[in-house]
Amino acid sequence: MTGRIRIDGQSIPFAQGQTVMQAAEDAGVAIPHLCYHPDYEANGSCKMCTCKIDGRQVSSCTTPAADGMVVVSNTEELNSERRALAQMLFIEGNHHCPSCEHSGNCVLQDQAYKLGMTALIFPNFTAGRETDASHPDILLNRDRCIYCELCVRASRDTDGKDLFCITGRSHNKGLAINSDTGLLKDSGLSVDDAAANVCPVGCIIKKRQAFTKPIGQRDYDKRQVHRNKISPSTLPELAKEPGEKISVATCSLAGCFGCHMSFLDIDERIVELVDHIEFDRSPINDIKTCSAEVDIGLVEGGVCNTENIETLREFRRSCKVLIAVGACAMSGGVPALRNSVDVRELLEESYIDGVGVENPQIPTDDELPHILENVSPIHEVVKVDFFLPGCPPPADAFWQILNDIVEGRAPDLPYDLTYYD
Amino acid sequence: MTSESDAVVREQLVAYRRDPRMVLQILRKLQLAQNHIKATDIDIVAESLNLPRTKIHALIDFYSFLHNTPRGDYDIYFSDSITDHMLGSRASAAALCKELGVEPGIPDKDGLATVDFTSCTGLCERGPGVLVNGIAIDRVDVGRAREMAALIRAGTPLEDWPLEWFVINDAIRRKGPLLNMTVRRGSAIERAIELGADGVIAELEAAGLRGCGGAGFPTHRKWDICRSAGAGERYVICNADEGEPGTFKDRALLNCEGCNVIEGMTVCGITIGAQKGFIYLRHEYEFLRERLERRLQRRRDSGKLGRNICGHHGINFDIEIVMGAGSYVCGEESALIESLEGKRGIPRIRPPFPVTHGYRGFPTVVNNVETFAYAAGIAADGPGFFKQDDAQRGWKLVSISGDCRSPGIYEMPVGTTVGETLQACGAVDVQAIQVGGPGGTLLAAHETDRELSFDDTNTGGSFMIFDHSRDMLDVAQNFTDFFAHESCGFCTPCRVGTKLMANMAEKIAAGHGARLDIEQMQRVHKLMTQASHCGLGQSAAVPILTTYEKFPEAFRQRMDDVEYKPAFDVEAAIERSRQIVAEEA
Repeated sequence: MTGRIRIDGQSIPFAQGQTVMQAAEDAGVAIPHLCYHPDYEANGSCKMCTCKIDGRQVSSCTTPAADGMVVVSNTEELNSERRALAQMLFIEGNHHCPSCEHSGNCVLQDQAYKLGMTALIFPNFTAGRETDASHPDILLNRDRCIYCELCVRASRDTDGKDLFCITGRSHNKGLAINSDTGLLKDSGLSVDDAAANVCPVGCIIKKRQAFTKPIGQRDYDKRQVHRNKISPSTLPELAKEPGEKISVATCSLAGCFGCHMSFLDIDERIVELVDHIEFDRSPINDIKTCSAEVDIGLVEGGVCNTENIETLREFRRSCKVLIAVGACAMSGGVPALRNSVDVRELLEESYIDGVGVENPQIPTDDELPHILENVSPIHEVVKVDFFLPGCPPPADAFWQILNDIVEGRAPDLPYDLTYYD
Repeated sequence: MTSESDAVVREQLVAYRRDPRMVLQILRKLQLAQNHIKATDIDIVAESLNLPRTKIHALIDFYSFLHNTPRGDYDIYFSDSITDHMLGSRASAAALCKELGVEPGIPDKDGLATVDFTSCTGLCERGPGVLVNGIAIDRVDVGRAREMAALIRAGTPLEDWPLEWFVINDAIRRKGPLLNMTVRRGSAIERAIELGADGVIAELEAAGLRGCGGAGFPTHRKWDICRSAGAGERYVICNADEGEPGTFKDRALLNCEGCNVIEGMTVCGITIGAQKGFIYLRHEYEFLRERLERRLQRRRDSGKLGRNICGHHGINFDIEIVMGAGSYVCGEESALIESLEGKRGIPRIRPPFPVTHGYRGFPTVVNNVETFAYAAGIAADGPGFFKQDDAQRGWKLVSISGDCRSPGIYEMPVGTTVGETLQACGAVDVQAIQVGGPGGTLLAAHETDRELSFDDTNTGGSFMIFDHSRDMLDVAQNFTDFFAHESCGFCTPCRVGTKLMANMAEKIAAGHGARLDIEQMQRVHKLMTQASHCGLGQSAAVPILTTYEKFPEAFRQRMDDVEYKPAFDVEAAIERSRQIVAEEA
C-alpha cells in the first residue's frame, strides 16, 4: 500500500511497506528516537518515538503506515513523556556527560537537549556494570548502555558476526560479548565493523580517538533547531518591596568551583546584576553562613561527605528557592565516578598509596567529616526547585536564570544555553 | 570435564532431537539434574545446537529457575505471592533458613540446600506453597518447614519424604458444567468432525465463548482467522503458564481428566487444520507433567491422538508438553511463543498477531487451558453446554484465595457479583478484593455490586480477599515488587518504571514518603500505561496507585503531610567510613 499520512497536520507520502517513522524520515519530519536506525530492522524498545496514531499511543518505528493515518507527534504531552523516558535512561545507567568521551556526539544527550530536559528528577540507580577495556582499540563501558540493541543488530545483520547479546531481564539486563572468555578482545570485533560504529551513546567507543574532535565542535554542540516548547514551572513568591534587592547565596559542595568561575564569567554584567541582587553567604564575598532568610540559593557540587550534608541542609533551611547548579549537583557528576569503588580502596589510594604521600595513614580525627558511600545529587538529600545543567553552565545561563528570577519569572533555560557537558 | 556430566547433557540433547528450539527444555533438565548448568555443559549445548554461547547465558539469566552457579542439592523456593505471605510463608522460610543455617538465595558451604523465594507457585488456596527441586509441596507452615529441615540434614532423598506432602488436592468448591463434565473419550472429536470446521466455529460463536485467560478475545474468531490465514502449517498452543498471582484454576483443570483440555486442543487442531499442539506448562506445575504425559499416551494408544484420529483417515494431531522455566511474562501469548522457540520470553511487536504469525511464523491458536476445556464441552454438547439462552453469559472459573473460610475453585456464571462471590466463599470482615491479579482491579468492601465479567471487573481467574487485619500498603508493595521482578526489561518505560515504582513504594513503606513521591508515581504510571510494550508495563503501576486512591489511610499512616522528604539515610551512608575509621584508630 502507498498513500499519504498526516503528521502534526502535515501531509506526507509513504511508500509500500514503510513504517510511520520511515515515511517521516523521508519527508524530513523529525520524530525523536534512539533505537531506530534506517539500516536495521526496527526494534521498538526505547519508546522515544511513541506517537498518537489514530488515537492510540504506539511506537512509530514499528507501526506500518496506512493511507489516511493521522499521527500526532510534537505535542507537549508526548514530549513530556519522551523527556521522562530520557530521564529514566539517564538515571538507569551512569550518564555523566562531563566525563563521557562521547559527549557532544551522543544521541541520548541530543534528544534530551531537544526535549528540554534540564533536570534529573528520579533517584539514580547507581549502576555498577563491568567495563571491558580488554580490546586494543575499542572500549565497552556498560554503565552507559541504553539497551537500544543497535550493536546486536549491526553485528548480526551487517557484520555477520553476531558478537553482542542482551542477557538477563528487568533492570538486571546486561550486554554480553560472544567470545570464549566473554571479553571483547577475544571476540573478533574490529574497529571498522558496523557494530563498533553504531552505538548512539558512549557505551562502545574507540580508544585514542575520544578527543580528536574537541568538545564544542561536535555533532550536537551546534544548535540549529529550536527545542520543543515546554510548559514553564512556577516561581515561588519572593514578595519584594519596590527597590528591595533579591538575596542570593552560593556554595560549592563536592565540586571544583568551576560553576562559580563560570558565574563570574558574566564579567561586567555583574555590575548590572548587583543593582538587583545582593550576595548572602558565598565564596564570592567570603561570608561563611547564611542569613535567616535568603531568596535564592545556588548550590554547586554533589554530596560526598557529612559536611556537604550539613551545608546543604543549611541552604535549604535558609533559601526560599534552591537551584542545583552544574552536573555534580544534578547527578553527582565527576566525583560520582568513585561510586563503583569501595570506600576503603578510595581512602588507601588517597592517603596511603597515592603519589607523593608522606606519613601515610588514613585520617581518623573525630573532627573530620565522614565520607559517604556514594556521591549523590543534591535533590536526593533536599528538595530542589530548579536545575541549571552544564559542566559548567555557561555564564549566559547564569545571567539568563537570574534575570528570569529578578523579573519574577520561573527560570526557563533556552535550548541554546542547555548543556550537560 | 567429567564423562558423567557429559552423559547427562548428551542424553538430553538426544532426547530433544538436537533441536535448537528445545534449548530451554535441555537447560531446564540440566538444572534439575545437576542443581545448576555447568560451564562445560553450556559449551557442549552451544556447540551441538550451533548457538552462540552468549545466547545460552542469556536464557539462564532470563529464566528464574535456571542458574549457572551451584544451588543446594535441595533447591527450595517459597512462594512470595501475597496470599502465601498471609499464610505465613515468610515465617516458614525464616524457620527453614535458621534450621539449616543458610541465608536466602545462598547455598550453605557444603552445597546441601538453597532456600529462596519465587513468584506465585499457584498453590494459593493451600499455601504457603514451596517447590523442592521443582516439585510442589503445599501447606508449609513453620512445623512442616522444621520437618523439612530434619529430612534435608539427614540427606533423605525426596522420594522418601512423606508422600502426603506432594499430594495437591484441588479444592473444588462449586461446580458448573465444566467441573461436572465427564470424560469425553473422543465424543467431542467425533462431533467436531461431523460438524466440520464451519460448524464448530458457528457453535463456539453461538456459545459466545471468549478467551478465559483474561483478554476475552472471541474464541470462534481466533480459530476462524487462524484457519483462514495463508496456506501451510498451523499450530495449537495451550497456555498453561498460569503465573498470575492468585490463579490456580488451570492447575485443577489439568489435574482433572474429565475437564477434557486435551480433547479441546484436539478439536481446535482438527478445526484449524493443525497437526501439532503444545502444552506450555509452567515450571511450577512439574508435578502435573507425568500425569499429563500418561494421559497423552493413553489417548495415542486409543487413537484419540496421533495419526488418523478416531479412525478418520488423514486427520492427524499430536501434542507435546513443553515446560516454562520461571517467567511471568511468558503468559503473554507472543512471549510464550518466543519461549517455545527456545528464546528469552520477550513479547513480540504486534501486529502481526500469533493467530496469523505465531510459532515459527505460522498461524497459531494460543488459548488458555480453560478455553480449551469449555471448547471441548461445546464441541461435544453444543452451545447449550456454555449457555442455555441469550439471558445467560456463560461460565467462568474463579480461583479464590486470601481471607475467607473456603478458598478454592468456583465455577460461576459470568456476571456473578462480587458480593455473591464473597458470600459463596464465606468471606467476612472484608477490607478489599483484588480481582484479576496484581494488574487487575482493586475493589473496596462496599463495591459488592460489581460483577465478574469482561464488561465490568474482568478476571483471568484470580480473586484475592483481604480482611481488615491486612495492611493494604504491604499488599500493593508486594504487587509492585512482583512486576519489577518479572518485567522482561525490553522497553524503557517498563524496565526503569517498574524499578522506580518499587523504590518509591519502599520509600513510602519505610516512612520516607511525601506528596512529591505520589506525584512522581502518578507521572511514571501515566508514562508506563501509555508507552509500555505490553500489558505488564501498562498495568504494573496500577496496584500502588489504586491502593492510594481507595485506601489512602494505608499511606497516611506512614507519611507526614509534607511536600518533600528524602529517602537519603545518612547513618547508612557513613557506616562504611565509620567502620574504616574504627579499624584504623
